[in-house]
Amino acid sequence: MPDVEQHSDPFEEQLSAGLRRAGAGFDADRAALVAAGAVRGRRRLLRRRAAVVSGAASLTLVGLGGALLLPGGGGKAPREDTSVGTSGRSATAAPPAVSGDALIRALEKLLPAGKLSKTEARGTDEKPGPYVSGVYDDGKGAAAISVSLGRVQPGSDEARQTTRCPGKVFVHYDACGTTRLPDGSVVMVMQGYEYPDRRVDTKLWSAELVTPEGQHVGVMEWNAAAEKDAPVTRPEPPLSPARLRRLAAAHVWRDAVDAMPEDPGRPTGEPTPTATRPAVAVAPTLESLLPKGRFTVSESSGDDTGFGYLVVDDGKGRCLVQVNVQEGMSDVAGELFGSGSETLPDGTRVAVHQGPSEKGGSGAVMWTVDTLRSDGRRVVISELNSGAPHDAATRTTPALTIARLRTIALSPKWWP
Amino acid sequence: MRQARADEYAEFAAARAGHLYRSACLLTAGDTHLAEDLVQETLGRLYVRWGRVSRVGNPAGYAQTVLARTFLAHQRRRSSSERATDVLPDRAHDGTGDTPLRLTLLEALSRLPAKDRAVVVLRYWEDRSIEETADALHVSSAAVRTRCVRALGRLRGLLGEELGEYARP
Repeated sequence: MPDVEQHSDPFEEQLSAGLRRAGAGFDADRAALVAAGAVRGRRRLLRRRAAVVSGAASLTLVGLGGALLLPGGGGKAPREDTSVGTSGRSATAAPPAVSGDALIRALEKLLPAGKLSKTEARGTDEKPGPYVSGVYDDGKGAAAISVSLGRVQPGSDEARQTTRCPGKVFVHYDACGTTRLPDGSVVMVMQGYEYPDRRVDTKLWSAELVTPEGQHVGVMEWNAAAEKDAPVTRPEPPLSPARLRRLAAAHVWRDAVDAMPEDPGRPTGEPTPTATRPAVAVAPTLESLLPKGRFTVSESSGDDTGFGYLVVDDGKGRCLVQVNVQEGMSDVAGELFGSGSETLPDGTRVAVHQGPSEKGGSGAVMWTVDTLRSDGRRVVISELNSGAPHDAATRTTPALTIARLRTIALSPKWWP
Repeated sequence: MRQARADEYAEFAAARAGHLYRSACLLTAGDTHLAEDLVQETLGRLYVRWGRVSRVGNPAGYAQTVLARTFLAHQRRRSSSERATDVLPDRAHDGTGDTPLRLTLLEALSRLPAKDRAVVVLRYWEDRSIEETADALHVSSAAVRTRCVRALGRLRGLLGEELGEYARP
């Protein structure tokens, strides 16, 4: 591969220097930026999305406690705009709030026999959004558990991403699966770790559920009595993945979400960026082009267009296969396809690169077949002899031959 | 947010705001109003996620990544297809030595498609590797490499020898 990480070209050096000089010329009132940033952060929390950020990137805002003693039991009252005043309560007809205490009781009821202690909760009318947490012990070791509630825009990218397992290539977890429930809700259960780098082996198992109406329920459990800085008390968190899924699906949470006041400042239906032209889902297309029956696929990037990957194994070791599908690339043809490249009768250019992996672990190599049609449509497929960019090689050469990569890249299936 | 975390966030934001702003100015090719907006949005996002962010190995790097993604999200919302801005951005004159060459560099940046500009800023201002840039922008290394080649080609054409003079200390 013609990759040189150092900027060997003097122009690149000059560009770096030029950017440093140009950048240094900009200065702002930093205090004002920081203050405005914090205001936006608080506003985001107000939007009730705070405690519910998607999947692996999710966070738990540790409880603020102080549950208000308001009557429990949500309801399906229409969501009317509530003017969020200083007290956070409004005189207008808002659905009845669900108190933090009611949420604690709900969690207690949903958990199997055991003891729930150290509970903290926020009700549906409290900032930054409803939340309940505690330490649950089924007799086999104390475990922190939390439930956070919120809304996402139905059908939005955010909703999809919340319930889509992240690429294992990039996030460490033992298992992850997404299930569609009979009511149309989608729930992802991930068995992962508190620390992505696993410097401490605290396990974090989570369920992220999004209903067709955009109600979002996030449940997390640990095999320690606190999210962090607490010793591991048991080999695994107390609730099995199936139990976790059921807990997330309990209707009591959805009722609570419905009781949350709608944020008046919330943008309605943010446009979701989607491709302007029909484009294929890369990973499934790639999978369909693999030789039948010879490979098991352990990971997939899902239905993304433009770029996708699979981790495949023919029984001799895992390989990461990545594909880019791009248009309008004619202008770089000269740079991508040098003298060693081939031109097919229809004008399609094909280049093959084989070399050490850019960031690869020991022994990792990358094989690439790059193809560019005369109309600027490009498919480039790269394959590693390891399961992830930073991993060591699992085998001496990747699983798919160059000839096979070439056949895949030139397939008409990329351009329906 | 707990007080300790709130303090930690405030300290981080104060320390990084300047650099984030400068990065944002390059991403927006000198549109300082938009840059301020992007930095505020980035800080707002970090505020919300601070519990997690503070535990990642490199919060400063993460902040830059959030900024780049925020910028691209903004661009996507503005136009459905990727296109270089044909008009010069609304550039506030801040009286900090707008030399003609600096303007030329910013103008050249403004003529790159947003994603290419993000790649250039991450690679040549942030000094990120191709792989790191790819991770930050959720694209493949191959795509970063292509964009880089393309962007450098365009910038070379637009700036030529001028850049060498400007970059000289």
